[in-house]
Amino acid sequence: MYNILAILFKYIFIIIIYLFIFSIIRLIYLDIKGMEGISFDDVAYLKLINRKDSLPFKIDEHYIIDKVLTLGRHGDNHIVVKDPYISKEHFQIVEDEGEYYLEDLESANGTYLNGDKIYDIVKLQDGDIIKAGQIEFLFVNRK
Amino acid sequence: MNKRILSRSPRNLLFFFQALGLLLLLIYKGKAIDKLTLATAGGLVLVIYLSNLLLTKITSGDNYIFLITTMLVSIGIIMIYRINEGLGIKQLLWISMGIVLFFLTYFILKKIRIWENLTYLYLIGAYLLFFVTFVFGDRRHGAINWINIGQFSFQPSEIIKILLIFILSSYYSNKDRWKEIKNSSYYLMGVIYSFIFLLFLQKDLGTALVFYAIFIAIQFIYEDDKKPILINIGLFVIFGLLGYSLFDHVKIRFQAWLNPWKYIERQGYQITQSLFAIAEGGFFGKGLGLGHPDFIPVVYTDFIFSAICEEMGIFTGIGIIMLFMIFVYRGFKIAISQDNKFYRILALGISILFGVQSFIILGGVIRMIPLTGLTLPFISYGGSSILSSFVALGILQICSEEIKSKEDLDEAGD
Repeated sequence: MYNILAILFKYIFIIIIYLFIFSIIRLIYLDIKGMEGISFDDVAYLKLINRKDSLPFKIDEHYIIDKVLTLGRHGDNHIVVKDPYISKEHFQIVEDEGEYYLEDLESANGTYLNGDKIYDIVKLQDGDIIKAGQIEFLFVNRK
Repeated sequence: MNKRILSRSPRNLLFFFQALGLLLLLIYKGKAIDKLTLATAGGLVLVIYLSNLLLTKITSGDNYIFLITTMLVSIGIIMIYRINEGLGIKQLLWISMGIVLFFLTYFILKKIRIWENLTYLYLIGAYLLFFVTFVFGDRRHGAINWINIGQFSFQPSEIIKILLIFILSSYYSNKDRWKEIKNSSYYLMGVIYSFIFLLFLQKDLGTALVFYAIFIAIQFIYEDDKKPILINIGLFVIFGLLGYSLFDHVKIRFQAWLNPWKYIERQGYQITQSLFAIAEGGFFGKGLGLGHPDFIPVVYTDFIFSAICEEMGIFTGIGIIMLFMIFVYRGFKIAISQDNKFYRILALGISILFGVQSFIILGGVIRMIPLTGLTLPFISYGGSSILSSFVALGILQICSEEIKSKEDLDEAGD
């Protein structure tokens, strides 16, 4: 009697172990997909040009621009950068009727657009490079 | 109820697996099981289920590593209990303590954040443990690596393993500070080699190999200077050849690996019995309780994999290997997404530890590489092995969370 049970159970055990493995793989797959699943097709965003691990502070690879996006050392900014070369409020990007404008917020070390320091509000084009401190962003707008 | 069990949540599958295992063992051992053991086992099933549920609530990090390890632990305990009831009951207690230690480690590491700067403390601790092993050590299965305290005995090398990872992490995450000392990489190498040499003297070859693997991997990734890495690899080859020609116990291992059939009476006995057991099991195994795993010496620690293959089939064996692979993959992913360098190296070290240790012993019992005595993490019987593995798991769990650096915390306090 026991033998029959043992033989039956060994198949059940194997089935459960494999179901377990596959369910974990499925969950991990969903996890990875969720991580990279944000679509950047129809939004304007900033993309980090620096290698992320070359910077000694926390920063993300992408920032989507929704109406307004500010960068600075202070915690209230959309992008908070703990870098001494960045001012408390450093720069901001504002959307107006589908166009995006970059404005320096009187930062100590300035904001650079394609290598030139900006003094006024500048209109951004797709592919512009924005530099503040040691961080470089690529502006992408493929609308 | 039925629908919930069959739903594809791994937590429920694990629960189902454990419940069935318990049921089968109950029928197998019949009246021999006393009520206390049954209550402990039932309690453990419940604790594991609740721990997995709780962990999804309290941690912002990884939810899979604990799930995978509890599956491995369950497969192990079913097999150990079937081979030897007394050890099975002890293993139940070790696992319960391990889970408690896991949560303790998790909360201690979450609250206290001073671990990066204690390099010297780890060093002193490691040497002290080696010293204690040599003075009070006990020889078992050819290696002096046990210490007896009253009724209990433990393997200090299991603790040193974790200390080693802490030493390496604290060194490489504070690389700038150590640069002030000239040739600090070579000092570090000297320290690690002294560990490996001491393990060699204890004849604990498997652990020495694990130490070496963790060291070379982390050095390879984080050392800026190429020279120490090349020297390290060169030294390994030289010491390997020297060890082979000077020490008999190394030579015996190689001979037993190359041709176990010739030495089937003595040196090759373990490995041949292990191969017989795996071959006997076939794809689906003999069924729990219907094989003869007791023919293999030290079956409940080093050779547990062969016993599992015999009674639960090579498919379960492949399943175990896959579980270890997913586990190590998760560990690497945790390391990659961790921003804090100290915790990143910690996560990397622990993933390498589990990966290499399971590779060495699994490869050993199937005669892919020479056999060295090591426990299979989470599956083998053994108090120190289970406890240290759960501590390492707790550390990995912390590494999977976002670590706020000290400056961030200070600014939040202002």
